[in-house]
Amino acid sequence: MARQARSELTRQKIITAAVDLFSEHGYPATGLGDIIARAEMTKGALYYHFDSKESLAEAIIDDGGSAMLTTFRVITETSSPALENTIHGLFVVADFTRSDKVAQIGMQLLRTFSGINAAATRVYTSWLEELTAQLNQAADEGDLREGLDIAGAAEVILGSMLGAEALSRATATGTDLRERVARTWDLLLPAVVSRESLDYFREFLARESLRRTKAAG
Amino acid sequence: MVTEQLDRRAELTRLQILQAAARQFAHTPYSLVSLDDILADANVTKGALYFHFRSKHALAVSIVEHRTTRGQKAVEDVLARNLSGAETLIDLSGLVAAEDIGDPVARACLNLVESIGRADGLARRVLNEWVQGFAGIAKRAIGEGDFTADSDPEGIARLLVSIYLGVRQTSDLDDPPRFLNDLEHSWRLAMPGFVEPERLSYLNQFIRRRTAVGIKKVAPLCPRTERQERHDGTPGSI
Repeated sequence: MARQARSELTRQKIITAAVDLFSEHGYPATGLGDIIARAEMTKGALYYHFDSKESLAEAIIDDGGSAMLTTFRVITETSSPALENTIHGLFVVADFTRSDKVAQIGMQLLRTFSGINAAATRVYTSWLEELTAQLNQAADEGDLREGLDIAGAAEVILGSMLGAEALSRATATGTDLRERVARTWDLLLPAVVSRESLDYFREFLARESLRRTKAAG
Repeated sequence: MVTEQLDRRAELTRLQILQAAARQFAHTPYSLVSLDDILADANVTKGALYFHFRSKHALAVSIVEHRTTRGQKAVEDVLARNLSGAETLIDLSGLVAAEDIGDPVARACLNLVESIGRADGLARRVLNEWVQGFAGIAKRAIGEGDFTADSDPEGIARLLVSIYLGVRQTSDLDDPPRFLNDLEHSWRLAMPGFVEPERLSYLNQFIRRRTAVGIKKVAPLCPRTERQERHDGTPGSI
């Protein structure tokens, strides 16, 4: 037990050092030697946990991805209507990727390793499953357009959120993710929401800026 | 190591007794609950019960305390959702209702606050905490422009807590659709008194949508048939 806890601590220390270096110098420019030096441990300790820089990246993608999903689930596990939870939850995740370094670097590595690395596929798949489950519930609650292709909608939502993150990252400041997410939903709402619920969701979306004030303060 | 295990066992027994007692207090008036019923349900000895609780009253007070501690955790979860103040108040009220309907400890707690709470300041303490908690959130709702600038946060909080406790008396927790609809109607009647007129329609829908989901999800504590007899005598029912 004690040994396991120590080993987990070492693993965390390596990941923290790697995340710091990747965010300062980028993934390609960082060598394993730099990470060993920053984490203040031996080569052996690092190789015990990770056999390559890529396996370290894989761990960060996994950790960041599951932290983001956990953040989303805190919102969706409540008994509020599923589509409200989905929209609000994705805003909360957007805030989270801005404040959490592992999630931030995890997102960057996710893009780098898409299609190459199993962790990237795992993250995308778990998000698609989660969104599909939420949308199915939203359809049950009468908030979605009749006959909407749920799996397709989940893909479009995930794709546009990832795209918004990438575009926001590409700008100098990288602070406008919330606005981009809001614009995306503004366009998506009429495509997915039932006519009776549309006005309500437009207002729900507009109020996200109110929630932001609170999150900032 | 051994004492640790014993402590854990004792804690488990204590919890077992609390839960069995809560199941009794959830359905039976305080004065009619017997310690023997609790013992039989909890499957513990009289000695074990008296080791943990001096009396029926001490047991009842512990249920209220157990519930309020656990309730605080649930409140923190709702606050962590980061909704606006007005939305948070609506969600909290819904959460209280859902637990009151479906969780014996929650139900027993408010039953006991009503029945034995007047005696030793228990109700004052519990309800004051509730009102103060709501008042802080109402203040935020005023700042966010959902509640009118001239309204008094503590006054709103007191009204909302009163509404909940009142609906609890006049409606029926074992008929969730009716209870949740009654609660919603009371909120909708009260809201024009403190909500900004242009925000009213949104917040009305916000409540409506939660009532609809709540009715689908919540399961009552005891079967309907058992309750229908009790209704025969109440005014207004057939």
